[in-house]
Amino acid sequence: MQTESLAVGSELPPVVKEITQKTIARYADASGDHNPLHVDPDFAATTQFEGPIAHGMLVLAYLSEMLTGAFGDRWLESGHLKIRFRAPARPGDTITATGTVTAVDGGFVSCDIECKNQTGETLISGQAQVSS
Amino acid sequence: MTATLAAFAKGHTFPPIALDLSERWVRIYVEAVEDGAIEQAGAVPPMALAARAIGALLESAGLPDGTVHVAQDLTFHRLVNPGETLTATARILSRGERQGWVLLGVALTVSDREASVMDGRATLTFPADSAA
Repeated sequence: MQTESLAVGSELPPVVKEITQKTIARYADASGDHNPLHVDPDFAATTQFEGPIAHGMLVLAYLSEMLTGAFGDRWLESGHLKIRFRAPARPGDTITATGTVTAVDGGFVSCDIECKNQTGETLISGQAQVSS
Repeated sequence: MTATLAAFAKGHTFPPIALDLSERWVRIYVEAVEDGAIEQAGAVPPMALAARAIGALLESAGLPDGTVHVAQDLTFHRLVNPGETLTATARILSRGERQGWVLLGVALTVSDREASVMDGRATLTFPADSAA
């Protein structure tokens, strides 16, 4: 995506992913984070979440993929994001990462970004910025 | 037994840890998060840097039971290539308690020999009784 063509209100191409327990296990192995809340369904059932949840950084990786697709090296070289994890992603969820340009100003492109699940629940929300 | 993050006070700095971003590990990470965009760029995904830094921190201090990742703030300063070895450092930026939950701010920095390539802040929360 060329930043010259970006205008306030432009939507970034979304990224859609399905999360399974296998997805979570692969991420646990890659990241080294084997917190039982993610990888042990029996343990996770005893927690406030009543079942396993995905690592927040796994879901955040989907937003990063969207930003890489939209901005390429500019995201990799000068990206900034600030997000809050609003709700957990669970095995069986379909996650959609989206972004909308909110400002093109002062050499930067700013976007609102979020991840939602298949019910429309917001899992992550925040802002991202790249140099233009 | 490794102490958990609950044991550390504001201002605590963890020892630097070398991050080996081998081509093999980057491939495993990319497969785990199914990042189709980064494969074209041939770079290390930005969230892989963050995940690796958090993983390094967890080698120094485990997560208290019931820990939830609340928020994340990240800035990337340059593109990182597979095969690079970088250094991660972490410091407890803030620590507060409210309504039975501890809120912990952790600064994360990943640097090469000359400068920071990524910095950010993770906000975590866990039950205060797990810090007792």
